Amino acid sequence: MNLEKVIFGFFVILACTLNFGFFIGDIGNEQLHHPAHLFAAVVVNLIALVMKFGDRTHIGATHLATSLVAMLQLLAAAFVWMWHVSIKHLPMTLDTMANIISLSGGALIANLISVVLLVSETLRQTR
Amino acid sequence: MNEILFVILRRLRRPLIILIIAYAVSVWGLVLIPGVDKDGNVVYLGFFHALYFISYTATTIGFGELPFEFTDAQRAWTIFCIYSCVVSWAYALGSIFHLSQDQTFRDAIARRRFALRVAALQEPFILIVGYGQSGIMLARMLDRMGLRMVIVEMRKDRAASIEISEFEHPPEFLAADGRLPDVLVDAGVTHRKCMAMVAIAGNDDSNQSVAIGGTVLNPSVRIIARVHTPIARANLESFRNIELINPYELFAGNIRLDLGNPEKLRVIEWLSGLPGGLRPDPLNLPKGHWVVCGKGNFARYVAAALDSAGVTWSIADYDPRVHVESDDMLRQGSAQDELVAAGVDRAVGLVACTESDAVNLAIVTRARSINPGVYVVIRQVNAANASLIEASMASLRFLKAEVVSHKVRQLLTSPLLIRFLRHVDENEALAGQTSALLEKFVGDKVPFMWVFDCYTAYAGLKEALSPEIDPPLSIGDILINPESHAEHLKAVPLLLLRKKKELALPSGDTRLLPGDRILFAGQRDVEAVQKRFYLEPSPLAYVRTGVEPPRSWLFKGVVRNLKARLSVAGGQD
Repeated sequence: MNLEKVIFGFFVILACTLNFGFFIGDIGNEQLHHPAHLFAAVVVNLIALVMKFGDRTHIGATHLATSLVAMLQLLAAAFVWMWHVSIKHLPMTLDTMANIISLSGGALIANLISVVLLVSETLRQTR
Repeated sequence: MNEILFVILRRLRRPLIILIIAYAVSVWGLVLIPGVDKDGNVVYLGFFHALYFISYTATTIGFGELPFEFTDAQRAWTIFCIYSCVVSWAYALGSIFHLSQDQTFRDAIARRRFALRVAALQEPFILIVGYGQSGIMLARMLDRMGLRMVIVEMRKDRAASIEISEFEHPPEFLAADGRLPDVLVDAGVTHRKCMAMVAIAGNDDSNQSVAIGGTVLNPSVRIIARVHTPIARANLESFRNIELINPYELFAGNIRLDLGNPEKLRVIEWLSGLPGGLRPDPLNLPKGHWVVCGKGNFARYVAAALDSAGVTWSIADYDPRVHVESDDMLRQGSAQDELVAAGVDRAVGLVACTESDAVNLAIVTRARSINPGVYVVIRQVNAANASLIEASMASLRFLKAEVVSHKVRQLLTSPLLIRFLRHVDENEALAGQTSALLEKFVGDKVPFMWVFDCYTAYAGLKEALSPEIDPPLSIGDILINPESHAEHLKAVPLLLLRKKKELALPSGDTRLLPGDRILFAGQRDVEAVQKRFYLEPSPLAYVRTGVEPPRSWLFKGVVRNLKARLSVAGGQD
């Protein structure tokens, strides 16, 4: 067993699951989407991104690309939320919430691709 | 770029992850811990405010407690935040600074910048692999001629010395092993402006690798490689684009020529010296018995040359390392017998060519004590030992770097001259004719060389080179000063190159055809004067007719009118 692979897989999958946890639920209902989940998803995605740095293989590059996409979308979602609630001091509205969840949904797809890559890479190992 | 980026990313992976975790835990803690506003209501810090607070606290900026004064629980957590974040930052910054000092990283950056600068070169350049004694001399020479260079040298200290030595156009340089193909590619061997590659690194083995690597990477680039042995020569000769220089063979060849055909050697030396310098004196090597002191390739080449010149020689096998091999030597008190045994007392010439300058000097001194009138040829091993070798007052000095750098310069800058010298070497009568012509028109200095191209693309030559013009353009025409009709330019046409045909010493009435190239030898500024023929047709018309033709539309018309009237008037008479 390779500890590095365990940690790597852990963060990649955790990034995906946290993202899913935030995404699931009625798209316009703010009570079904807690900001702490978004925060956790951002942080874990960030860590997963940094862990993918410096791998020169083709699959490593694709991994990095998916993480960059997920990161971009999640940060956009967090920014929309911050802008609406913390800076403009408005109560959460249905369309802003839908906006945030759509963005995190995109990130979820990227994270899913990342997991698919991880699994397919594992299956390719013949040993 | 990729390589450097990857090195940075890989090295900074751990510090970045630690920093992210420290921030995340701190922010999360602040969000979870309840605070109170001014009225005593329980309020929670949002993610936005928590991140804001941690951002300025972790970087030790410290704007204070926002948006309300903190409770004691929040303050306790802040203590934890400050220590963990500040330590993480210190670790991250330390890693970055450490990386910037790291040798591999700096090498990667230096290599990358070198490759970028070489790729951006817009002028033709010459790639030199090896910056030893020959490399230094060659680089200085080419720099003075205004050529750009890229230099690759394996030893770091030598490569670094390029930066502090004075160049008019500082060359691009890299400390790397030129035997590696990717180094050669970075150094521009496949660059479209790369005129030639010169392999003068260390020994024959590495030069072979460099030369073969270069010709494989770019089959169209000219490669000049230095070799010392016949084996290396045989290995490289099968490659079409590799030209070889063997300094020992060249020098030995000169000895052979001087003993056999001194006139020929004089012309060759005269033409191949540094332009503007004094005409070299003949060597006048004496014929008789020679003593060669030393061993190795150089001694062997010299001995072979003496052999073919038909003089006798003997080798005194001299080992520069000072040690006593037999009891005999101890009893005799010195090794002088070696020289005597080789016959130095009856010899006319001595070649001191061991691998040490001091020993060479000692040999010369001792040989002179036995036979004061002996002609001395000395080998200088290290260019820095010039004063030591001068003290020997030797008649002839061999310095490998000098021979190599001169020959390379010649190959690079006047390839037509090499062809002409080949003719001189083959044709016995040519040497005498050449020196007579040079004495008559150019004088006693080493002439400057240039090539005059008869291309119809030049505006000045287009008309004169057309087939219907009469009389046809000849070499004699372009040897007249375009400023004064009566003056012959101080230059001699050495070689006419017409497609694959070469004509040595073409005469003045030789007809010129489009595409001809002529090698001239002449005084310093003649080239610039002659190149005026390129620019516009009037100088050529002037030297051919002796009349300056009108250039503007108006005067052309006036002259045509005048001529017509004159001919009408002439008809009436």
